[in-house]
Amino acid sequence: MRTNGKQHGYGAEMNFRERLYVGEVFRGLWITIKHLVRNIFYMKDMPTVQYPEVKPQYSDRFRGRHRLMQRDDGSPRCVACMMCSTACPADCIHITAAEHPDPTIEKFPEKFDIDLLRCVYCGLCEEACPCDAIRMDTGIYEIVADSRDKFFVNKEFLLNDETNGTL
Amino acid sequence: MVKLTIDGQELEFTEGTSLFDACREARGEALPHFCYHPDLPIAGVCRLCQVEIEGMPKLTIACNTTVRDGMVVFTRNERVRKAAQQTLEMHLINHPVDCPICDQAGECGLQNQYMEYGLYESEVEKGDKVTKAKAQVIGPHVILDTERCVLCTRCVRFCDHVTGTGELGIFNRGDRAEVGIAPGKELNNNYSLNTVDICPVGALTSRDFRFKKRVWLLKSTQTICPGCATGCNIRVDHEADRIFRIKPRLNADVNGRWMCDFGRLEYRRVHAESRLDAPLLADGDRQREASWDQVWSRLDALGGKGLFVVSPWQTLEEMDLFKGLGGGNTVVSGPSESGRGDGDEILLSTDRTPNRKSLAWLGIDELAGDELAARARAADGVVVVYGGDPVGEVPAFAEAVAGKTLVYLGTHRNATSDAAQVVVPTSAWAERDGIFVNAKGRLQLIRRVVARPGEAREDWRFLADWQGRTDDQTQPAGLPELRRGVAERVAALNGQDLNTIGASGSAVAEADTGGDA
Repeated sequence: MRTNGKQHGYGAEMNFRERLYVGEVFRGLWITIKHLVRNIFYMKDMPTVQYPEVKPQYSDRFRGRHRLMQRDDGSPRCVACMMCSTACPADCIHITAAEHPDPTIEKFPEKFDIDLLRCVYCGLCEEACPCDAIRMDTGIYEIVADSRDKFFVNKEFLLNDETNGTL
Repeated sequence: MVKLTIDGQELEFTEGTSLFDACREARGEALPHFCYHPDLPIAGVCRLCQVEIEGMPKLTIACNTTVRDGMVVFTRNERVRKAAQQTLEMHLINHPVDCPICDQAGECGLQNQYMEYGLYESEVEKGDKVTKAKAQVIGPHVILDTERCVLCTRCVRFCDHVTGTGELGIFNRGDRAEVGIAPGKELNNNYSLNTVDICPVGALTSRDFRFKKRVWLLKSTQTICPGCATGCNIRVDHEADRIFRIKPRLNADVNGRWMCDFGRLEYRRVHAESRLDAPLLADGDRQREASWDQVWSRLDALGGKGLFVVSPWQTLEEMDLFKGLGGGNTVVSGPSESGRGDGDEILLSTDRTPNRKSLAWLGIDELAGDELAARARAADGVVVVYGGDPVGEVPAFAEAVAGKTLVYLGTHRNATSDAAQVVVPTSAWAERDGIFVNAKGRLQLIRRVVARPGEAREDWRFLADWQGRTDDQTQPAGLPELRRGVAERVAALNGQDLNTIGASGSAVAEADTGGDA
């Protein structure tokens, strides 16, 4: 905070000019006025985004809604090792493992549910994943539904969903 | 006694002690190892427990060396450490490192020892590994993954020396060597799941537990196996009120480090579909769920003399309470034919009930089926059956109770519960605390592991409540008080304090009680 070399705040003595108030009011408004003038003449530089008509651009590293990666044949890459659900601080990943008919895969998730309402988007699941099977790179940050149970998304949804966020 | 120096510490051991055990005592932790197992003969194949002994030109494996006077041993110097690290690297050359899909992950010897001795930079390309058969079903309970195997031969030695069945062996040589099943055989002995326990890696895994749960999510409770009269000490692994597996717990006086497959899979009964979870009252031909008030008013109205039948699956405290509840009525157990099966010389008893000994201690007569039916016929109106399934097992008993009021206290739906006018759901073995007395008269604690289903009651509380309604005596407020009462009433206990029984149980000086050992 700039103090102009003077003591301000409670109990500080005010001089005559300060006691007149009018000058001080405009000095206080100076910041506002400066921005007002600049925004009028340089409207393009304004940081305000006209959401939802205009969507903000986030960094590529932004953690959006999860997705499950597919193998070449479209089956999940996930091997149901439970690393993500173990690492999850919100306890929002629920996996049921099963025997895969292909012995080279051996284990796969029969069920893979994420409770998006519990998720805190910390990204520990994708960091824990040894198979790069779960990613949060969809960039989807608007997660909207009209009932709570729709936020409980299953394996098929996480594998194939192309929607932009509305569940 | 021999005196030797381990890592600068001078210690004394009895002659014949293995250097491995001596080092464990000196270090406070075991040397790295795969093949050494205290209950199996020494194989000396994993080469991980090498230590430096002064005067010896090369490192020596501790497990196959006995202590000698004046030995100077180093277990923590750089040479020993390096040897363990290099040996571990050799073990890992062809290991698939498929920990994410391996059930052993979290309790794996390779993982644990790699954390301490690992080289971290593998010198082997992933593509160079020798691949072997994975996920082979080698028996009703066991799956073999030869790629993960470190060839410690523990399982082979177990089948050769403990069960004597010799199903397993090491086949081929060099990096193609693998554990396998002898031609035409199957790993189907009743102790096969112990090979899964002793396997230090994920080569042998349980079919029952396969992919059910990651081991680090499980909580353990120490209790006693209800499968037979041996009363093996066990550890129940459970999560969120569901039991996932049972593992044996070391008790040299009862079961050592082993337990049988039959007992290990007993937990499935706890979560069976047929569990009773609400009180039922007969309503015409059908049974309908009732409130506890309705049940109590029905039970209060019973009155009269009758027959009280208790099963050997109940705990010592419950049997004692039930006997007290019977009061002037005849309290018996039966049919004595139930809960019998084939035994073996290792652990499994012919008596497949956990607590038959207590019946003898409490002076409750065990009757054969016919005799039990005769007693039921002679009973005055009321027959109370606590546990077991006499109606299903003895047709004559079913006929005898047909016109009478049958009250069933039990855990599962069966012929007896179907025939009963009043059904009270009680707790299964893993849902209550109590004492089982094994065939040798050892008192052992069973512990509550999971929650009871629905409205099932804790047995002793229900019995105490019922007794409180029939007489004016104050009922015990808790298990400790109840146990003090039991200790006074049962002569065979010789004044043993039932509240001081520890995790490994307590043997009672055997008095002649006429029980079948």
